[in-house]
Amino acid sequence: MNEQKTVKIQNLPGDLAIWIFIYAELLVFGVFFMAYAITRRGNVELFNQSQLLLDQRAGFINTLVLITSSWMVVQGVHAIKQNYSKICVRWLDGAVLLGAVFLVIKIYEFYIKAEQGINLSTNAFYMFYLSLTFFHFMHVILGMIILLAVRMKASKGGYSNMDYRGVETGASYWHMVDLVWIVLFPLVYIIR
Amino acid sequence: MFALIKKSPLTTIMWIILVVLTSFTFLIGWNELVSNSVVAILLVVTFVKGQLVSDYFMELKHTRKFWRLGPIIWLILILVLIGMTYYL
Repeated sequence: MNEQKTVKIQNLPGDLAIWIFIYAELLVFGVFFMAYAITRRGNVELFNQSQLLLDQRAGFINTLVLITSSWMVVQGVHAIKQNYSKICVRWLDGAVLLGAVFLVIKIYEFYIKAEQGINLSTNAFYMFYLSLTFFHFMHVILGMIILLAVRMKASKGGYSNMDYRGVETGASYWHMVDLVWIVLFPLVYIIR
Repeated sequence: MFALIKKSPLTTIMWIILVVLTSFTFLIGWNELVSNSVVAILLVVTFVKGQLVSDYFMELKHTRKFWRLGPIIWLILILVLIGMTYYL
């Protein structure tokens, strides 16, 4: 006897508009990643030498920070689905706080590079490194603003187990920011 | 707050896997073990990490195929094309 498939098809979490936005963002980052890889192919030595000056520990810690922040957002979504508004707010606070930690570490990295006299015109590697990570940096800020807006509404009881689409929408965007960094970290900091 | 995690531990297990895979990637780089063959392993690890985020954090695992496959196809395309620039 054939086993019946019991997994229910779920609705897309969050608003459709945010998913269109997310896919557009992934496309843009994808083009950036490809441009980096193709340019590297013609300048392997330059890229390998320049990459040695990056602080892999900072990239590693920031990856852990974003992954953990994403996990906290997941917990926030789980909490609101069970009608625990206050718990949802606490998880979102934790996620935003880790977002701030990410920004501080990244600013420190930018500062060190500026101290070393490195800028966009130093060479092709640093042009990509600085522009890619700064572009991502701006997305982290936008993600934090979205999470803060969701958090404010949640703290006023604006979401419940019957209405949590807004929380899912903010969460989906934040996970996209995490997903992009998951590719960026090995590509720019590790692989040579 | 943490009682809810015990109630649905799957995403926490995925978070632990993500931390382990990230640490693996970092240690390969930090110990200067990156070689041509290792690049392929790191790209596969990146794919696995991306898919975990897409399936369990973004909760796309049980949505319609069109939506679920979006990030997966993106990851495959990006990582295969990056791999090609390293190997070809």
